[in-house]
Amino acid sequence: MHNQIDFIYINPYYYTQIQHIMEEMQDRQLNEKESLELISRMIRNTQERMEEGSGTMFLIWGYTTVIVTMAVWVMIMRTGDYVWQWLWFLLPVCAGIMTMIHYKKQGKKPHVSTYVDKVINYIWVVLGITGFLLSVVSILYRLPLLFIIVLIMGIGTTLTGLVINFRPLVIAGVLGMILSTVLILRMPYTMMLQIFSLIFLIMMVIPGHYLNYKSRKRNV
Amino acid sequence: MFKELDPLLLSELRLAVMSILISVEEADFVYLKEKTNATAGNLSVQIDKLQQAGYIDVRKTFKGKRPQTICKVTFKGIHAFEKYIEALKSYINIQNH
Repeated sequence: MHNQIDFIYINPYYYTQIQHIMEEMQDRQLNEKESLELISRMIRNTQERMEEGSGTMFLIWGYTTVIVTMAVWVMIMRTGDYVWQWLWFLLPVCAGIMTMIHYKKQGKKPHVSTYVDKVINYIWVVLGITGFLLSVVSILYRLPLLFIIVLIMGIGTTLTGLVINFRPLVIAGVLGMILSTVLILRMPYTMMLQIFSLIFLIMMVIPGHYLNYKSRKRNV
Repeated sequence: MFKELDPLLLSELRLAVMSILISVEEADFVYLKEKTNATAGNLSVQIDKLQQAGYIDVRKTFKGKRPQTICKVTFKGIHAFEKYIEALKSYINIQNH
């Protein structure tokens, strides 16, 4: 005589199948009206988003430009040696590293990217490449580089403002583009540097802070 | 006349996922879960179904050390969604008359 143990053995494959069926049952079917309501609610949900810290990119690049420009100005004033112009290359390096850190920090949040995000990214990548190429060319050929850089950044700021529908940014960008023409005038290089950093303060730092303030307020 | 409704989009969660993906470039699993208030299990089942139907593209990557699932709507998905809306309209119109 032997004891037989009865047990039900559920094959793991069937187990997952059963789980799927149960999850399927949880999923409600909608009628036409509910469908339309759901669609519009979900679309509205994605549109009502103004990323907190939208202005941070402007702050990173704006402040770095102001600080590096001031450093170049101080060193040229003190030494009179234009070799300090090489300090300019600190700008893309420092701001680039900070940009990467910023993206890494943002990576912890749920990821979503809209068409607007994509358009803005492309605008700045293309303008960034243009600015970098012109800076390299200006080592070999004389170019009114400060004027060109302000003009390019003004274009980027204006376009960003137009795409995200944020008027202060459009105004700052257009103002930057207009002010850039001052830099074609004949004046000492050190004075040009001061005007250059002042324009960046007006064009990027101030609207950057304002944009951050607005997005924080909206998301509270 | 009633147009036939796509059974894949009749489900609440699948329709929610499609509506979100229609309006963004791409979104990850965590974002979809947050916006739809679904359970992870249910959401992943429905995402699988949409992927099998060719309505969405699913890309699995890593964000640092954590795995990340990024979803993006396909042309087929956009087409199916538009057809679904058209069909819904035909229902609503008939009800109003």
